[in-house]
Amino acid sequence: MLDKGKIGSLQAVFLLVSMVLPTALLYISAHTSRHAGQDGWISLMLAVFAALAIARLAVSLARRFPGQTLFQFPEHILGRWPGKAVAVLYVWWFFHMNAEIIRQFGNFLVAAFMTHTPLIVFELLIVLIAAYAVRGGLEVFTRANQIILPFILGLIIITNILIAPEIDLKKLLPVFSDSGAVPVLKGAVMPASWLGEIVIVAVLLPYLDRGQKAFKIAVTATLITGLILLITFVTDIALFSPQLTVAALFPELSKVRIISLGNFLERLEAITMGIWIAGGLIKISLFYWAAVLGSAQCLELKDYRPLVLPAGVILLALSVMLHENIIEQVNFLGAFWGPYALFLFQTGIPLFLLAAAAARGLGGQERQ
Amino acid sequence: MKIRFICLLLLAFTAALLSGCWDRKEMNTLAIVLGAGIDHTPGNQVMLTLQLARPGYTLGAANGGEEPGIWVVSETGRTVYEAQGKLANRLSRRIYWSHNVILVFGEDAARQGIRRYTSFFSRSMQDRETTWVMVAPGQARDILETSSVLEDSSAQAAAYLERAGTCYGIRFLDLKVMLAAKGDNPVAPRVEVVASGVTPVLDEEEPVRTKSAALTGTAVFRDDKLVGWLDETETRGLLWLRGELEQGVVVVPSPDNPGKYSSVEIIGMHMKVKPQYDGNTVRCNVKIVTEGELREQQSTEVDITQPEIHAELENKMAGVIANEARLALNKAQEEYGVDIFNFGTAFHRKYPREWAELQDRWNEVFTGVQVDLTVEANLKFTGLTGRRGSIKE
Repeated sequence: MLDKGKIGSLQAVFLLVSMVLPTALLYISAHTSRHAGQDGWISLMLAVFAALAIARLAVSLARRFPGQTLFQFPEHILGRWPGKAVAVLYVWWFFHMNAEIIRQFGNFLVAAFMTHTPLIVFELLIVLIAAYAVRGGLEVFTRANQIILPFILGLIIITNILIAPEIDLKKLLPVFSDSGAVPVLKGAVMPASWLGEIVIVAVLLPYLDRGQKAFKIAVTATLITGLILLITFVTDIALFSPQLTVAALFPELSKVRIISLGNFLERLEAITMGIWIAGGLIKISLFYWAAVLGSAQCLELKDYRPLVLPAGVILLALSVMLHENIIEQVNFLGAFWGPYALFLFQTGIPLFLLAAAAARGLGGQERQ
Repeated sequence: MKIRFICLLLLAFTAALLSGCWDRKEMNTLAIVLGAGIDHTPGNQVMLTLQLARPGYTLGAANGGEEPGIWVVSETGRTVYEAQGKLANRLSRRIYWSHNVILVFGEDAARQGIRRYTSFFSRSMQDRETTWVMVAPGQARDILETSSVLEDSSAQAAAYLERAGTCYGIRFLDLKVMLAAKGDNPVAPRVEVVASGVTPVLDEEEPVRTKSAALTGTAVFRDDKLVGWLDETETRGLLWLRGELEQGVVVVPSPDNPGKYSSVEIIGMHMKVKPQYDGNTVRCNVKIVTEGELREQQSTEVDITQPEIHAELENKMAGVIANEARLALNKAQEEYGVDIFNFGTAFHRKYPREWAELQDRWNEVFTGVQVDLTVEANLKFTGLTGRRGSIKE
């Protein structure tokens, strides 16, 4: 075991919520309503079901190989080199995903708050802090998250209560006749690919205090995240109507800007920024940790810590190089990311591995 | 202990860096915008007028005799941002939009279409969707060049008026939602400079007559182009039909004598639209339910505590309200031919399939919509008096 840390069930739920929620919150409504209009809540529900299926898949797979992570057991299933190739693909995916997240992190801060500050400043700062957290190990940022997440959830609840007088739920009508089955399914791909990041339980499983509860943990986290995203979507549509939600780059930020209570409690954007920075740090740390751990396990090193700083440099460079501008990233994520993450890394490869393991009778029978 | 102290010192020092280096904003380097106006100039350019807060005058400078705490500047450009850039070149401070409370469109700009100007305000990270929007007959600049006696600036005064529900208040967000909806057309309050009052001056023959900005009706748009106005009574009708009336007084003729009146304060209302479509014609059932409080009764003959008189007053009140609503409806259907009541959206919700065919010519359909209006008025309270004391037994 490269990381000696063990995390409890509640800690794991918190971690998995922080993995998706804080960043998805900001974009979810725009990406979902782009296809499904005001019916995006149906898409979101479909996405939650998809994520639950992915969690089931990842847990079933990882349970067959106790003590091993997603980067180790493909070797046992497919043989040394093909297995390593799959593990390397996953390492790449964690790098790529994290680079996209770091870019989104910087983009938001520059686009919405500090236009004259170079993007790299925010990216460098967050990667440095995340590197420090990752060096400390899984337990360190998991515990940090235990303090951070309740604040995030509290702030989300408060903003939704404050915006309540402004919303008009009639804007969600008519149901299902403006969109139809295909747009709703299309709208589900993006949120499913975010919620589907739950596939990371196949990496976390060996580090869970009570591994047999892994599926329950994943389900709880997905349902909490799904519910909050659903509330966010509904309030965004009920406030802005689908047309304006699609037009907004950060619908959640626009929503918070509307809040004006008695003409004195207003300008609460700092809340969104706080959620974004605190939640972003945990999310980036977790994927950073997975990428570094995966690299070390692929290379069969004794310690992953020497890789932390070099990996940080790669992440930073990648995040700057991936996209020329904000629109390019939004388009890339909207058109390409969903299928790429969802069909390849979250369902395709795990399904293939599970089928191969079952066919070859590898790994202990899954125990409930 | 020493190390701790040094750490603490270092930590405190980081506070100096927290504001950031590139995007720091200090109060004393900002020119704070209180109100903004958009006019269309003959050369097809945009004239941007800004009402700025004068440093040192910002609070409590509105007392008579002193200069007002505002300063108004204008500049033209091909785009709003270009005009702002030109202004920025002339101002020693950075233009700061976050405290802007009103956005005024001049009549020409509104007639040309406001979509070409709204983008600047939605993209800006400083400007807010809660800015109040209004339309001036004439130039927006004239509105911003007034001052207020009661408030620090005329922009704030106009914003307070709009927020108080004296007319149909529209925030920038509401405007955007109306512009985006196919079953709706935007409306916005009309703002005019009117003679507002008199400030008596000692030892002078002539007291100072002040002028200020007031909301006097509603501007009606077809999509993003101004097509006409509603006066104050018609604006009330608009509010009834959109179900947005928050306050107001209904003056009802007395049951015994049409020359005498009663005043009823509106304390709550509710409106429901039910469209009906048979493939050819669209009908709309509109039901308005309202609650009021009797605040004034000129007649000394009728006894309001008698149930039949009470009911009659309610009926008459319903009649007055229906009449106001009809005025707005007729003007929208016959004169301007635009749906400003959001009926199209109600139709869309009930007949989503049929809407697909009608949506592009909805305004045309709307002019022929038969509206069945029912008004239910309830008199809930009568102030501190029941029956008038002067009524003889």
